[in-house]
Amino acid sequence: MRVLFVVPPLTGHINPTLSVGAELLSRGHEVGWLGHASKLAGRLPRGGTLLALGEGDPAHAAAVSRKARSVRGMAALKVFWEDFIAPLARASFAETEERVTAFAPDLLVVDHQAVAGALVARKLGIRWVTSATTSASLGDALDAFPKVAEWQREQVLQIQRDVGVDPVANADVSPERVIIFSTPEVAGERSSYPDQAVFVGPAIATGRSEVAFPWDALQDRAKVLVSLGTVNSERGKRFYDAVCTGLGAEDLQVILVAPESLVPDPPPNVIRRDFVPQLALLPHLDAVVCHAGHNTTCEALAHGLPVVLLPITDDQPVVAAQVVTAGAGVRVPFGRVTAAKLSRAVRTVLDEPAYRDAARTIQASFEGAGGAVTAADVILALG
Amino acid sequence: MSREDTLQILAGFIRDVIGDEWDDDMEVAFDTSFSDDLELESIEFVALAESVQAHFGDHVDFVGWISNLELDQIIALTVGEVVDFVESCR
Repeated sequence: MRVLFVVPPLTGHINPTLSVGAELLSRGHEVGWLGHASKLAGRLPRGGTLLALGEGDPAHAAAVSRKARSVRGMAALKVFWEDFIAPLARASFAETEERVTAFAPDLLVVDHQAVAGALVARKLGIRWVTSATTSASLGDALDAFPKVAEWQREQVLQIQRDVGVDPVANADVSPERVIIFSTPEVAGERSSYPDQAVFVGPAIATGRSEVAFPWDALQDRAKVLVSLGTVNSERGKRFYDAVCTGLGAEDLQVILVAPESLVPDPPPNVIRRDFVPQLALLPHLDAVVCHAGHNTTCEALAHGLPVVLLPITDDQPVVAAQVVTAGAGVRVPFGRVTAAKLSRAVRTVLDEPAYRDAARTIQASFEGAGGAVTAADVILALG
Repeated sequence: MSREDTLQILAGFIRDVIGDEWDDDMEVAFDTSFSDDLELESIEFVALAESVQAHFGDHVDFVGWISNLELDQIIALTVGEVVDFVESCR
């Protein structure tokens, strides 16, 4: 079978497809990725084919990225659609159609935010499934705000008019299968998701990291990883100060992922690194402090670790709310963080066993869901 | 009851919703923005609406009122606008 993943230029959305694609390749199938070479080159599993889309003006992309980072909440939703998803769909539609036609896949796996892929699949009559990296875009988060949900539906309709396909409702979601890289234990009731949704759990990358780490420096006491993920690290001056002042005074060891410029002089119990081999590190840890990005959060939960969540933007508030509701973490507002609040939150998840118990319940649900292997099964079942 | 009294009642509910995360040094005023100043997430906003409605009674249909807000109105919403809404229900 020949499968083509269509992905947006978002690392967090690309990562799970790499694991699923590797699984498909290992079973002898042909697999391609259609997206931006700047995000995909050098990252594909062995044997995978890269189909590069034109990327437009990098200065414009940087400006959109800056704008997206300056807003939160509903304002972020607006920027995400008006400045990112819709322009991306319009700019890449014709090229996507051309590339898909040439590659002639049996099946497309289209990221929920790569709307052009969904529209091309329908236009060309190729079967397709939706890949939902995060469950946040499909659940009932907007139920209380029907006008906002309506606005979002209108965005998808307008994209269709702009690229010249017949506008239909829910064109961004596959009517056949929606693969969600989470489980109802975190994402909330099954009934709030589309009927065709399949919860496969996170598809966490395997393989060794090349990132060096001072393993000998780890001590025999509670250890906490603190990371704002791949895109937020430069937003965190106030946060890093709270980490150093608050957690620096606690009887625990902190592994802090942060640029040296923002943490020039960490306290003795803080190991600061620009990057860490996160997956190799997690089995040694007791808790994780992060921005509630779906990947880092799921990786922590997959290791049964409770989480302190400081959501910043995008789907992070929804992910954070899911974890808090599941009892596996506590939320601290990023913009209002203080040393005292951060310390109290970390002590809470470390000292109250209920948080770790809830994290382990989620861990078990992830193991049962099967991750990339189950996702590959779902894809191949349609072939 | 004055606008100021209503503001204080709302401020109390906002503190409850934000809970443990509340900053003692943060003021809630008429021009305080839910999004930019309070960083209230949409789910917290729904929780706030439910508790305000329970307090004032169903004639203050706060949940119904926010369900009619457009995206741009939600982004710009201030505490003062909610005070005015509550007052308008009297």
